Amino acid sequence: MVLVLAIGDLHIPHRAPDLPAKFKSMLVPGKIQHILCTGNLCIKEVHDYLKSLCPDLHITRGEYDEDVRYPENKTLTIGQFKLGLCHGHQIIPWGDLDSLAMLQRQLDVDILVTGHTHQFKAYKHEGGVVINPGSATGAYSSITYDVNPSFVLMDIDGLRVVVYVYELIDGEVKVDKIDFKKTATTQSTH
Amino acid sequence: MNKSDLPMHCMKVKTAYSILINSEGTTTPYIGLANTNLPECPSVDLDPSALRRERALQWRRRRELRELPAEAPRKRQINGEERRARVAQQFSLVLFLLRQHTRGLASCRPLAPSTAPSKARSPHASSDPRACAAPSPHSASCGGPDAQRRNRAGRFESVAVVGGRGFSPVPALSRSISAFFSRYFWCFYLNPLGLEFDYICRMRVQLSKKIINIGEIRRLASQGIPDGAGIRSTVWKLLLGYLPNNREFWAQELDKKRAQYNDFKEEFLVNPSEIARRFEDSTGHENEELESGDCGFLMRSKITHDEHPLSLGKASVWNQFFQDTEVIEQIDRDVKRTHPDMHFFCGESSLAKSNQEALRHILIIFAKLNPGIRYVQGMNEILAPLFYVFKNDPDQNNAAYAEADAFFCFVELLSGFRDNFCQKLDNSVVGIRSTITKLSELLKKHDGELWRHLEITTKVNPQFYAFRWITLLLTQEFNFADSLHIWDTLLSDPEGPQETLLRVCCAMLILVRRRLLAGDFTSNLKLLQNYPSTNISHLLYVANKLRGSSAG
Repeated sequence: MVLVLAIGDLHIPHRAPDLPAKFKSMLVPGKIQHILCTGNLCIKEVHDYLKSLCPDLHITRGEYDEDVRYPENKTLTIGQFKLGLCHGHQIIPWGDLDSLAMLQRQLDVDILVTGHTHQFKAYKHEGGVVINPGSATGAYSSITYDVNPSFVLMDIDGLRVVVYVYELIDGEVKVDKIDFKKTATTQSTH
Repeated sequence: MNKSDLPMHCMKVKTAYSILINSEGTTTPYIGLANTNLPECPSVDLDPSALRRERALQWRRRRELRELPAEAPRKRQINGEERRARVAQQFSLVLFLLRQHTRGLASCRPLAPSTAPSKARSPHASSDPRACAAPSPHSASCGGPDAQRRNRAGRFESVAVVGGRGFSPVPALSRSISAFFSRYFWCFYLNPLGLEFDYICRMRVQLSKKIINIGEIRRLASQGIPDGAGIRSTVWKLLLGYLPNNREFWAQELDKKRAQYNDFKEEFLVNPSEIARRFEDSTGHENEELESGDCGFLMRSKITHDEHPLSLGKASVWNQFFQDTEVIEQIDRDVKRTHPDMHFFCGESSLAKSNQEALRHILIIFAKLNPGIRYVQGMNEILAPLFYVFKNDPDQNNAAYAEADAFFCFVELLSGFRDNFCQKLDNSVVGIRSTITKLSELLKKHDGELWRHLEITTKVNPQFYAFRWITLLLTQEFNFADSLHIWDTLLSDPEGPQETLLRVCCAMLILVRRRLLAGDFTSNLKLLQNYPSTNISHLLYVANKLRGSSAG
């Protein structure tokens, strides 16, 4: 029962002042074991805040991040799953599922977490699953202004993952979930 | 006493005795014991005139039984202090034995006729000096372990405390008295298991009855249950009311309780994602599990009742889970610290780990079932002896379910003491403060001088030492084996463990009174917080003595 938070594209302070209050009240330290941040935080204060939620923090570099030391891609293993992290501005066309699938095969991971489009997406293809947590602050993106704040919490339990999607729609937090299992004979290395 | 006065069979004993003396090369009668380090028997200061009276009474009794010449053959003159100490020690021994003797006589009852005595005697063939000494009336004064056959009607009292129970045999008795005692006392030291064997037989007879007489079990258990016999587990379960009196119901009762414990485990020890999964499976949610190979956007499904991990709702399973995490962390920490010197509880072995897991489960379930009191530091110490005893049950079936049994017995035991753990009740009538006050009153009644010295002169607040004594039921004051022995008495006393505990604490204070009276605040506190190891049987004897005179 490992709780992994996937969050990103906050664009604080350039495009948004802070996380929505309702999200902030829910994100308390002590509950989450890992944080995967897709990037574009952009400043150190946000990094420190995320670090206070959970000491195990993984970040990749977005194009507006002020800290240049974040890597472009990151992979890690949690339980039975291999997770990959990338901001996504490097993958052209932005948000194209086939290209993301290519990156996933390159990184050889079961779950790929990317951002940059500021839209929540969860897509499954034969290589694995791609999850885009969207923008946690609802900041406008290069593509669109119409953005709902959202983030994703994954509950990894053995071979099964339950993905809880938190969205702020019309000032209310709406939570959905997505269930998927990894079959034992899966994702052979392409 | 001349050789010729002794009957023939005693001569054999004497020979055996002297052979051993020669092999050891010493002249003390307690050969076997000369090598052991016995704890010094703390002296009970008895009034000298009372001593004289007791001694006269004892000798008169012996004379009645045609045992000894009228005069105590005490010749050696030693200095007053040492003499008083020795005499006190001797008489504590004798009084104890006498007490057992008279108590045995008072409640003398014929056992199941042939089985018990023959069982006791058969393994000890004719070489058993006890059997030989049977007709001899000397035995009665030894405090008659089973050898006393004053009426030879097949009755015997197992005053089995004299044997290998750690009862100090009073080092350095004077030569003549020791020579007298040693003949018979000595035999039982040679054969400690024999004594215990009788006790065990007696107990087993009681346990094998169809309807168990709890009063009899209590009486036997209060003498202390021998460690090796493997009956402690069953006896404790009976005393705590876990097993019913009627033997026939044992199996079904045990099954019922164990199943109940399993249900508790299912309910309380499972984590929220497991719960969510089961809920889904039960509602027949055919989830859109795309076959591998299928591509497409994953379907989102609604969640029920706000059940997500970050939920802040009171009714949310996740929220409760995270709130319990603090308690669980505390329990984890305490379980890891339980009895670090024992391999049973601590260490890297899989046995220790599984025992710790079991303790952890029991405490978590208790905390969840009792939201008012949850978990308080110290409950692990009360649980540890219970679990240890049940796990070491020679019956494998019982040992496998030790966790479930320990849980229910723990609940039962704690039901009397839970008020000590509830912080809010500290200042109330039932709380720990009032219990400590009761202890103080008890001490005042029995030993006013000591009470005054402690409370007023040196201002040692009983809370400083008695708190741990009372809340942890003396598990931290003595080593593990001794605390099991004390618990035998605590659990078996018909007055109830709370009252008995107070008496034992009072006895602990009285036993070290000389050092306390001589000490100031620091030394007294130091002494009481690191109570010196002492002879447990003696301690329990003194505690028992306090019973008669206390008015409740």
